[in-house]
Amino acid sequence: MQKLNKKDDKQSGSERVLVIGGGVGGIRAALDLAESRRDVLLIDKSYSIGGLMTQLDRTFPTNNCDLCTVSPFLSASGRERYLDIKPMTRIEELTGQAGNFTATLVTEPRYIDIDKCTGCGECVQKFPEAVRFTPGLDPRAPTCMRYPQATPYAFSIDMAKVEDISQIQKVCKADAILSHDEVQKTRIKVGSVVLSVGAELFDPSVLDNYGGGQCQNIVTGLEYERIMSASGPFQGSLVRVSDNKQPKKIAWIQCVGSRGINEADVPYCSGVCCMYALKEAMVTKERFEEDIETTIFYMDMRTHGKDYERYFNRAKDEYKVRMIRSRPHSIIENSSTKDLSITYALEEEAVQKTEDFDMVVLSTGFRAGKDATDLASKLGIDLNEHNFAKTDHFNSVKTSRPGVYVCGVYESPKDIPETMVQASAAALMASANLPVICADEKIEDFFPRERDVTGQEVKLGVFVCDCGIDIGGVVDVGKLIDYVKTNSDVAVAKAVGHGCSAESMAQIESLILEHGVNRVVIGGCSPRTHESKFQDLLRRVGLNRYLVEIVNLRDQNTWAHRGQPRQAQEKACKLLQIGISGVRKNRPLMENTLPMSQNALVIGGGVTGMTSALKLADQGILTYIIERAPALGGLARSIRKTIEGEDVGAFVARLVEKVMAHENIHVMTRSIVVDHSGMPGLFKTGIQTGLRMNYMSIDHGVTILATGALANRPGEYGLGTLDGVVTQLELDFMLEDDTEKIAAMDQVVMIQCVGSREENNPNCSRICCQAAMKNALRIKQINPETQVFVLYRDIRTYGFQEDYYREARNLGVKFVRYSLNTKPLVTQEDGRFYVRVYDFILGQKIEIEADCLALSTGLVADDETTEDLAMMFHLPRTLDHYFLEEHVKLRPVDMAVRGVFIAGTIHSPKTIRESVTQALAAAGRAQTLLAKKEINLGAAVVRVDKDKCASCLVCVRACPFDIPFINADGYSQIDPDKCQGCGVCAADCPAKAIQLLTYEDDQILAKLDGLFERVN
Amino acid sequence: MENYEPEIVAFCCHYCAYTAADMAGSKRISYPANVKIIRVPCTGKVDAIHIMKALEKGADGVYVAGCLEGDCHFKTGNARARLRVARVQKILEDLGWEKERVAMINMSAGMGERFAKTAFEFTEKIKSLGPNPISQGKIEVQAVS
Repeated sequence: MQKLNKKDDKQSGSERVLVIGGGVGGIRAALDLAESRRDVLLIDKSYSIGGLMTQLDRTFPTNNCDLCTVSPFLSASGRERYLDIKPMTRIEELTGQAGNFTATLVTEPRYIDIDKCTGCGECVQKFPEAVRFTPGLDPRAPTCMRYPQATPYAFSIDMAKVEDISQIQKVCKADAILSHDEVQKTRIKVGSVVLSVGAELFDPSVLDNYGGGQCQNIVTGLEYERIMSASGPFQGSLVRVSDNKQPKKIAWIQCVGSRGINEADVPYCSGVCCMYALKEAMVTKERFEEDIETTIFYMDMRTHGKDYERYFNRAKDEYKVRMIRSRPHSIIENSSTKDLSITYALEEEAVQKTEDFDMVVLSTGFRAGKDATDLASKLGIDLNEHNFAKTDHFNSVKTSRPGVYVCGVYESPKDIPETMVQASAAALMASANLPVICADEKIEDFFPRERDVTGQEVKLGVFVCDCGIDIGGVVDVGKLIDYVKTNSDVAVAKAVGHGCSAESMAQIESLILEHGVNRVVIGGCSPRTHESKFQDLLRRVGLNRYLVEIVNLRDQNTWAHRGQPRQAQEKACKLLQIGISGVRKNRPLMENTLPMSQNALVIGGGVTGMTSALKLADQGILTYIIERAPALGGLARSIRKTIEGEDVGAFVARLVEKVMAHENIHVMTRSIVVDHSGMPGLFKTGIQTGLRMNYMSIDHGVTILATGALANRPGEYGLGTLDGVVTQLELDFMLEDDTEKIAAMDQVVMIQCVGSREENNPNCSRICCQAAMKNALRIKQINPETQVFVLYRDIRTYGFQEDYYREARNLGVKFVRYSLNTKPLVTQEDGRFYVRVYDFILGQKIEIEADCLALSTGLVADDETTEDLAMMFHLPRTLDHYFLEEHVKLRPVDMAVRGVFIAGTIHSPKTIRESVTQALAAAGRAQTLLAKKEINLGAAVVRVDKDKCASCLVCVRACPFDIPFINADGYSQIDPDKCQGCGVCAADCPAKAIQLLTYEDDQILAKLDGLFERVN
Repeated sequence: MENYEPEIVAFCCHYCAYTAADMAGSKRISYPANVKIIRVPCTGKVDAIHIMKALEKGADGVYVAGCLEGDCHFKTGNARARLRVARVQKILEDLGWEKERVAMINMSAGMGERFAKTAFEFTEKIKSLGPNPISQGKIEVQAVS
């Protein structure tokens, strides 16, 4: 693979950002920095980057194998210009201060020359004895690569396991193995640091009641992922370790080592285990046999993320995953069958039960290991009481040391989307005071000159991925290749494993060159995700990027028809033939570029909008804030205190003051968006502003949508009709302004999930459990004698919020569970409330008298606003009317329309702190786009054949954007800079004088030919 | 006719229907493999000629799948597609074909279930109509330039 030359002017150095940790968070941060043209060094202590995510089989909530979505970002492309990767490297010391740090780095010997290693795997084949990399189940070799798409694509040798290095050197055809290699110590200057080192996973072998690590069929959640993974020890077959047989009955046990008070436990919640257990149970059913029985033992089901409650409901209702609310007492192994007996008790029954399972998965969570504490002391940053990085109350990525930022699980337990948000936020914070480098250079300059293929005979190269088992497990890839070869102009056809891995990419490149291929077909996954990656591949071998066709064999074939392999095989042939026939007609095309507007538009002037605007304005970007209300502040103005006790009012006031005083920010209150046009980088938005609703038009390159959500007010339990029924927000105000009234109360009842997690609003509002804890604790602070009852369905105090739940229980707050079928009944007599609810533990109805009833009503999407914006900006929404981001896992603030980002509660319910993080992330992502300075319009624009044009005006009337006009020469002129590429005019043109490039008529007809004329 | 498997072409717009089809796959929702997708930027790009050629070449059914009404990425492309499909249906009727062999369908990018459901329903409908009259040999194709 071609390595791009880098300018060696790094000595000045302090302009560089050091990213420590190459998991998804670190990679995202490094890429964001590189894309915004900052110089980045990414180090990782492991031999290739990728972190925990690359060990996962599938990820929730899409159940996709997201490795293939991440890996394309990792490998070579133009952005390497700004990004250096140093694997097997750790930081020893950090001296100096923000803007001028000196970092001492230590690189371990790899014993392999990365530049020479081709990753052929010959050494692994011959020397597979020893083990270097865990977790547990992975059979490993002394030379070791973790997954097929590894970056850098090279092995490393564990010298401790090698007897004679010269034997290994003999098998290496590339002569890449070094007999001597040393620890290298380097000192570099950096301006800021991003930490993304993750955390360890709890090792449950210390728990004697759960097998003490001695039972082969008790595995951790991660080990279970490895068992199911196509690149795992069993090549993706689900089997028991004890007998290699497929289990029939599997149990998951939640909160193993978390939310506990025993010696081995940590008190906090790990935040992700409920979702991964649900995912593993569902994937088990969908990938293997429907009749495998899956059972989850849990305490509270914590599906508080965006759309996660729907996922939970699907697991229960569609996949029939069995849910048992219980923390099992013990697991006993049957010594002959190796089956496992779980003993547990149900809260509604006093007796213990025992049930046998074939396999048990322990849902273990995150731990701050010794590495984390060591790193903190080396870097001089503070940790919290759980040994995770301590961060600012209103900025979750800012550590105690200026210039050092953090993202991901090192800050607190969290899932991948939250990690991605923090990564972009940390990248923004880290880049704040660093200059943009090489602003005038174009990435294009680094590709070789394009080979002219016009007039050449078509020579096809067809490459088909097996995508692990995702394609190859359903269809016979070898037979597809045989079929493809029956096309006489196919110069080379080959199965390429994971086509997106560096190894396969390199192989494809050399085959293209070797066979003089001038048209390429890739059979693999969706062009939506991988087209640009393979287009880059073509550019690297000197071919125009439009000479490739991606055939969607996975998403639209083997995934959908995995139950009908014969039909899938036949359809794969036809799809490949469509691609082959189509690509013959592809022509090299030029792309158009235009300078980009450097202004930003932020819609919504709440905490989120203001935070994004300030960060962009600080970068010298002229930023407009449009706010519907007469004043800035948004929903945060109806909150007084955060759960940490911070004063929200003062925080909002500070933000408003900064925004109003900023020279680069234009604030427009009492303003609404009325129209929107243009394209990414050159948007034009019309607003009506002020009391007179004057119209004005704003040009901007990026848009951040931050119009928030609404406080929900369902008319339940007497809200709005009975005096004394309040929401948690109203209680929050009373707790500040009317403490005497609170002090006089004997009993307060809170009801959770009011208007949420029900049929007409199925998702969880996320913020209510912590709001209830916050207010319950404040009541107890005002008057410890006041009794507080919280009626709940599941307590969802994720992460460190669990500390407040525990504190509330310790202070005597009573928690009574109810279910959807046993909702509390509220009556009022003489100003007193009587709440009747069925208590599962007592097994009877109880009645609680109360002075005040506080309802946790949460948030709902602002349907009217998001609907208007969705129409005007052409953006998708979720079923609950929040905005739907481009990729729920990996691009949580980007929208499908490039240049549009979302942040805050317009995305889903979240706390102020979480909204601020997302605001920073959105500003960061916007900055990466603006750094490109110009927009690439692509080549999909129409071209008019003036000789055929009869100037009939059909195109002028048909165009949805009013672009065509009849010019002075009497034919239709369609400006390629303005053309949006829909092709409506081309379809309507009666003379067929208009063709849409990349979708020309002969290309479409050739595809139909491919489908019908070739295949029999 | 029991084992008759129709060949169906679906012209899907990149922004909605094609994405919905990917979504159906990622959710592992099954639908008949008879449906072969040809990606277009917008359903507004689908010409009457493309639909007619598909039928002439042997497709038993053709449908055009775009964004929901009012949600077209290109404002009105899907509305124009609907008109064109109606026009093709009229031509088919004039030729004595079943106009149900072509259809316009709308869905959003997130509707993987709907993609699968419509693919299933359309395939069933075509199965009930039987093979396209050309491939049954009832009609000889005149040379079409």
